[in-house]
Amino acid sequence: MKKDSMLYVVLFTFAVCAVFTLALAIANEGTKDLVAANAEFATQSAVLGALGVPFDGKADAAARFAETVGAGEAPRSWLATVGGADYVAVEQSGPGLWGTIVVILAATPDGERIRGVRVVSQNETPGLGGRIAEPWFLGQYEGERSPGGRVGMRAGAESSGAADSDKENGRVDGVSGATRTSQSFAAIVDAALARVKESGGER
Amino acid sequence: MKAPKAVAILKDNLWANNPIFIQILGICSTLAVTNSLNNTLVMTVGVALTTAFSSLTLSALKDLIPRKVRMIVQVVVISFYVILIDILLRAYLPEASRQLGPYVGLIITNCIIMGRAEAFAQANPPLLSFWDGLTSGLGYMAVLMAIAAVRELLGFGTLFGLRVMPEGFVPWTIMIMAPSAFFLVAMVMWWAKSVQARRQTAGKEAKK
Repeated sequence: MKKDSMLYVVLFTFAVCAVFTLALAIANEGTKDLVAANAEFATQSAVLGALGVPFDGKADAAARFAETVGAGEAPRSWLATVGGADYVAVEQSGPGLWGTIVVILAATPDGERIRGVRVVSQNETPGLGGRIAEPWFLGQYEGERSPGGRVGMRAGAESSGAADSDKENGRVDGVSGATRTSQSFAAIVDAALARVKESGGER
Repeated sequence: MKAPKAVAILKDNLWANNPIFIQILGICSTLAVTNSLNNTLVMTVGVALTTAFSSLTLSALKDLIPRKVRMIVQVVVISFYVILIDILLRAYLPEASRQLGPYVGLIITNCIIMGRAEAFAQANPPLLSFWDGLTSGLGYMAVLMAIAAVRELLGFGTLFGLRVMPEGFVPWTIMIMAPSAFFLVAMVMWWAKSVQARRQTAGKEAKK
């Protein structure tokens, strides 16, 4: 068969595509369980982190998760009792500056006090908006009162640029240099609190 | 593989014909990933491996590939390796995969890979092509790591995530953002070109 004949070109292209796609399919099939396990660990560690349950490594996280956390009625929501108090955790996503931000938030069932927040995924500018995943920023939400299911965000010029340590004022400080990301984050937290209230009120 | 030729290729790709500051290829990824050393390392290793293996594969297939569909086959092979790297990262290095996000998929758009496939792998034996791809990746890595070191040090005050600068250090926000990579790439080009120009004139005068 001539190398430049139509038949050869079609057959060759078809064969090359088939072989390489098959190899990828095999690789994907082979690592599927591992990828799923990684995704599950990411969710579990975020839920436990938001609930303030300490854990040590993958196996411990799975054990603690099974021990303390139960599935909620709504999809991607969890119920848990930590230290004698009931909490509801929900996964909430919303638009950030560049891409979708996914967080897991745990709060009291009435949505009036936050237990904790963890960022599952975000694509904000590293070092600016990306700082929403840092402990100093998320730490502000731990135990923060959220009157009416809202937490104020002091973004831009209002922000002190440091963490707001007052847990009763229902306000947190935004990341300086990332006003838009901070505002988006506040909206996602408020939406998550609304969902906590919804699922918590049914109990 | 003949040793002198391999050494010549290594020198060429690292210095005389470096993909970043001489061929000006792969600049987009230079801007995107170089604000942290960890991400840069994973990304450049990915690029080096993709270039090496796709050059190897394409060189091995070169007598079978019809000229009409040459580029299509190149793209299929390159994307095969990129997706493979993405799958492996997701399975074995989930943290790095999460931080790199869409950048891994963007390895495929890196012009160095296709550049080497077109310029070298088409006319050379597989092992030599593999070596050429790998060293091109190393040349790319060397420049990017140097830029990332400066950007991370001044932008975060850290190196590989470890605090280096004293507590009172105010991070340079510009270093985290893409424009700083433009300045730094330009400076690297300036430095490399002037050194090469000086050597050339010195060489000419020595001949006289």
